[in-house]
Amino acid sequence: MKSSDIFMINASADDIEINRGELALRLGVSRGYDDELIRSCKKKLMDVIDYKCAYIRTDIDLSEENICGFDFMTIDSSALYKNLAGCSEAFVFAVTTGIGVDRLLARLNVISPAEHFVTDALASAAADSFCGYAAGQLKQGLVCPPRFSPGYADLSLRFQVPLLDRLDAHGLLGITLDSAYLMTPVKSITAIMGIKNEKNN
Amino acid sequence: MKKITDLIKEKRVYFDGGTGTVLQSMGLPAGQAPELWNLTEPEKIISLHNNYFDAGANIIKTNTFGVNRLKFDNYRELIQAGIKCARTAAQGREEAYVAFDMGPTGQLLEPLGPLSFEDAVSLYADNVKAAANCGADLILIETMNDSYETKAAVLAAKENSDLPVFVTNVYDGSGKLMTGADPAAMIAMLEGLRVDALGMNCSLGPDLMLNIIGEFKKYSSLPVIVNPNAGLPEVVDGETVFNIGADEFSDYMVSLAEGGASILGGCCGTTPEFIRRTVEKTSRLDYTVLEKKHFTCVSSYTHAVFVDDDPVLIGERINPTGKKKLKEALRSGDLNYILSEGIRQTDAGAHILDVNVGLPEIDETDMMLRCIKALQAVSDLPLQIDTTNFDTLEKAMRVYNGKPLVNSVNGTEESMEHVLPLVQKYGGGLIALTIGEDGIPETAEGRAAIAKKIIDRAAEYGIDKREIIVDPLALTISSNPESAVVTLEAIKLIRALGVKTSLGVSNISFGLPQRDLITSTFYSNALQSGLNCAIMNPFSQAMMNVYYAYRALNGFDTGCMDYISYASAEAAAQKAPAVQAEETLHSCIVKGLKDNAVIHTEKLLDTISPLDIINDHIIPALNEIGGAFEQKKAYLPQLLMSADAASSAFEAVKKRIPAEQSDSSRAVVLATVKGDIHDIGKNIVKVLLESYGFTVYDLGRDVPPEVIRDCAVEHNCKLVGLSALMTTTVPSMAETIKLLNETDKSIKTMVGGAVLNQEYADMIGADFYGADAMDTVRYAEQFYNTCRS
Repeated sequence: MKSSDIFMINASADDIEINRGELALRLGVSRGYDDELIRSCKKKLMDVIDYKCAYIRTDIDLSEENICGFDFMTIDSSALYKNLAGCSEAFVFAVTTGIGVDRLLARLNVISPAEHFVTDALASAAADSFCGYAAGQLKQGLVCPPRFSPGYADLSLRFQVPLLDRLDAHGLLGITLDSAYLMTPVKSITAIMGIKNEKNN
Repeated sequence: MKKITDLIKEKRVYFDGGTGTVLQSMGLPAGQAPELWNLTEPEKIISLHNNYFDAGANIIKTNTFGVNRLKFDNYRELIQAGIKCARTAAQGREEAYVAFDMGPTGQLLEPLGPLSFEDAVSLYADNVKAAANCGADLILIETMNDSYETKAAVLAAKENSDLPVFVTNVYDGSGKLMTGADPAAMIAMLEGLRVDALGMNCSLGPDLMLNIIGEFKKYSSLPVIVNPNAGLPEVVDGETVFNIGADEFSDYMVSLAEGGASILGGCCGTTPEFIRRTVEKTSRLDYTVLEKKHFTCVSSYTHAVFVDDDPVLIGERINPTGKKKLKEALRSGDLNYILSEGIRQTDAGAHILDVNVGLPEIDETDMMLRCIKALQAVSDLPLQIDTTNFDTLEKAMRVYNGKPLVNSVNGTEESMEHVLPLVQKYGGGLIALTIGEDGIPETAEGRAAIAKKIIDRAAEYGIDKREIIVDPLALTISSNPESAVVTLEAIKLIRALGVKTSLGVSNISFGLPQRDLITSTFYSNALQSGLNCAIMNPFSQAMMNVYYAYRALNGFDTGCMDYISYASAEAAAQKAPAVQAEETLHSCIVKGLKDNAVIHTEKLLDTISPLDIINDHIIPALNEIGGAFEQKKAYLPQLLMSADAASSAFEAVKKRIPAEQSDSSRAVVLATVKGDIHDIGKNIVKVLLESYGFTVYDLGRDVPPEVIRDCAVEHNCKLVGLSALMTTTVPSMAETIKLLNETDKSIKTMVGGAVLNQEYADMIGADFYGADAMDTVRYAEQFYNTCRS
């Protein structure tokens, strides 16, 4: 059951340019490297990718050191606390590339290790690029520190549970968690991005 | 009061609207579970229900949507209190019904998610049991975005209660569920499971549901429910509001009612006012029930396949009869081979895949379930469950995601009394073989008589004849020259009974040379006689030629587009030179050309011994690309493609090595350790090891230490490779190494993965740390070379 303050950002495959540096890093090639295998894997990926993002904008309470208070969870993390310094609000959001990507990867895992590896790298880079795109859309006109995700530094993965619950991520994005707090669809990212003040102020 | 199942056949009926959004306006804090109010603020919940009844709703949903035992320890209390609130509000009212509401578990089911199908059934079953005898009039399974979870919930409801079951799913703007099913697929599955009403709710506003309602009208024989959102949320003057108001909403509901929906209500953002106006505007409209449909169809988790005059191809390749490699794969539990056969048939144009894993020496039920789950992760085609074991059939129908095709029932009492109840319960298209107590009748009339008997008997179980596809059996003409003629005549007689037909066409040529010639000609004749489905080999060019030509000649291929596309691809394939003159096996492996590597290997096998091909051609080529990778002159995908080509060459060579000379001693057990689901690194190592000729026992991911130990012991394998990507699962790796050392000190462990380094590997007692896949291969080679010397 969805709260009425959750909003969505959708994008088509064409809207998102996959970050070349990120892709090169994951493939273990030099930036800008391209070949027929990468191009054909990219085409297959783009046929199934389904970018979706759900977000809320919420107040945060940083009155106690190293404690980040949200109306739905309290996070003990010095790294996030530092990241949010000077913020009174934050965006909490989750993005995914959709379950079709998991199915494509499962299929490629059977028929071609090379295609599987390349497509997995492309999908990871695509998820990260879309996350950057969504963050860019959210922070228009605002000053925001870099987004911060569960799993970074001392921000425990267990906060995925209240965070995804609050975003109705299962209903809106199809994201579910396993007992190790890992998400399915596998190419999904959750993040918190503080809001300092209006840019024009 | 009338039963709700009678009322929905007589008149338009109304659900209530949003719960969560209304409760938030009554003070429920954002992020707090609304169901807690069943115990703490029951008067507010009763008031919510009363408001909806007063607005004209006939059915109210209990405030139990998100309750299950995974989320709430006191789920029983919450459910019982929720039903009590609803019952209190319904008290003394006419035509006022209480729907016990069940939503998604919040977990994705296997094969892509962690929750097993039976665990999901059990979760819902506990809810249904908690709700028993509390006064609900029906069960509503709603807001489901996954067909598999929907099936689990419906089975739980049906197996633990006699209440009517209504189901609504969440479709997105493209008209599909989050996990891919379209309305036709959902309708096929849900009608098969015998729910009482079905439809859609949430996510979309009524405007966008108008784009989908036509699909329900076209395919559903059941009353259709429509419970839309009040559009999309947006911020106006700092307040969040949904963008469709009550008046506009109710106008759209008029169009939805005219479009075929007969049970109307609302979801997120809608209030009693939305329902009041909807009732006002739609109660004046004429009420008609949807006409009964006569389609024959089966479905997967994405789409339905309709069996009609446009021929349907059922891929026969996953059936061990006469297939040595598949038999080996089944005996060794090599799912990868089976899956690749499934994917290849999907790519070759099959519409449905037959799955038969019956071998006397294996556990058929276990293998069938593993195959169905794994195939449904890699192919979206409906499956034909092909078994003579009734227990296997039931378990397979249960775990299948969609409406399966069942192969088969026959005209014997034993078969009918076992198979028909399963189709009655789980739903399914049903292949009916014309075999009676005295075997297969020799005449067409005799076979048609058995078909009639099965149709009549199925009707006693409430199975409509549209579900039945009769197979009049093709028997080889090598033993009876009349058999083709009899079968073709039987097809015509059986079509006249009003059912569809299917044939395992390949049997016709058994025992003859050039089988494709006879089989494809017979297939053409059978199509002319009215055959609907053929169980056939989609890799046979002769069969596919007939299929495409028949469709083009009989008006099933508009503009001959499919035929042109098929014929052009065939022509291009014939023109392409098989191999380049300057190419060698070595160069094919280095370049990663898999098919050509096999061609060159087979050529070399005419003049060179198998072992010389391995030592002088395959290994040097692999070393060359491996060296280039280590020097960063080649990247990982190139190495993997080379490894793939080398593995194919190895396979070709292995066929020529006499059994007594084959070397299976170079084996490695590989696993991603317990708690970790990342297997890409482990898979890369596997491919490379196999390309170097190692036997790999791949245990997959999230593997408990005991399973790894047992595998090493069973195969007397002294080398174990372990992978982990997350810091949290390194302790599990340490535990595995400890167990292996305790079991057999001579077992060596190799570890790798993003979180490891030499220091960490030393700390957990590993014998070797592999920085990359090539590193691991080199160690494995060194290990076995040392063992030999």
